[in-house]
Amino acid sequence: MSKIISVGISEHKVASDPVVLVTYGLGSCVGIALYDPEVRIGGLAHTLLPAPVREVQGAERTAKFTCWAVDLMVEELLKCGCAPERLVAKLAGGATMFEPQYRSAHGGIGERNIAAAREALERSGIPLVAEDTGGDYGRSLEFNTSTGIIMVRALQQPIKQL
Amino acid sequence: MKFDALTEEHLDALREVSNIGVAHAATALSQLIGRSISLTVPKVLLTEICKVPEVFGGAEKLVVGIYLQMLGDARGNILIVLPRDSALKLLSRLLPRDKSEGTLLTELEISALKEVGNILASAYLNALGALMGKTLIPSVPVLSFDMVGAVIDYALIELGEIGDLALMVETDFFGEEEKINGQFFLLPDPVSLKIILNAIGVKL
Repeated sequence: MSKIISVGISEHKVASDPVVLVTYGLGSCVGIALYDPEVRIGGLAHTLLPAPVREVQGAERTAKFTCWAVDLMVEELLKCGCAPERLVAKLAGGATMFEPQYRSAHGGIGERNIAAAREALERSGIPLVAEDTGGDYGRSLEFNTSTGIIMVRALQQPIKQL
Repeated sequence: MKFDALTEEHLDALREVSNIGVAHAATALSQLIGRSISLTVPKVLLTEICKVPEVFGGAEKLVVGIYLQMLGDARGNILIVLPRDSALKLLSRLLPRDKSEGTLLTELEISALKEVGNILASAYLNALGALMGKTLIPSVPVLSFDMVGAVIDYALIELGEIGDLALMVETDFFGEEEKINGQFFLLPDPVSLKIILNAIGVKL
């Protein structure tokens, strides 16, 4: 049984030892997993928003924003001995939890989060190898860094493997 | 105003106005279901966004979440969280329920629960608005039945854009004869918080 490390909203964690990185109850938030299969080191972020509305002076970069989460994890992963060209990414979440009448205020935040994640991955040249995104239900993720496999659990849905 | 600049006096004032608001909401609910409903003293919680799911009893707990926006002279979100069992008990008071139905809610049940949300939020905002001498109205309610983490992250979006803290005024309500409980949350944005505190005569 590997050690379990929980990743909360707007957090990211990188693990160099074999662990299970978990994040619970992703709604419109996005879970971004990065993994180097060669050295079996990975990271998981639980992001809330696509990007800051305006640049706040001196604001700390956190994984609250999808646009920063990838960079933050890549920096740490490289320090742990990962090679940038070996990194692969998996995405989950970005659901639309409430019907459109209410959603219009945010213009589909889940979709915007997914788009921001793809953009950030493309910018960093990290291939997206698997995803389970969209829909209207919440997801929990268990990312086993010794295998690179992510289990996606959701209410009323079969368990998926990414 | 910044959430971390709030004093004990501000928090007391928020507790008090919320108490009056939820008292009206509870009266409305008890009339609707014909059962008495009690309240706890409201709590004002200032929580880091990443810790919010814990306030709701862990991100994976199954709940019915009913969302409304507070519109009018002050803006914010209202979130009513009912644990699954309580939502079903509430429904059994409102609708004939076929026990053979699965875990999902039917269209009619969703509609009934949204109406409960509407009644609770309207009563709350009427009372709060009357205290403030302002007009507050709820938006059309929306509902989600899922893991609480997934249901509430939506409420954190607006707050997340401006900071890392969520201010929540929480009141728990529960039925006396039957175990129906739920949580009523008001999440004002910082601008509205100032409007609310100003309107009730608290010095900032």
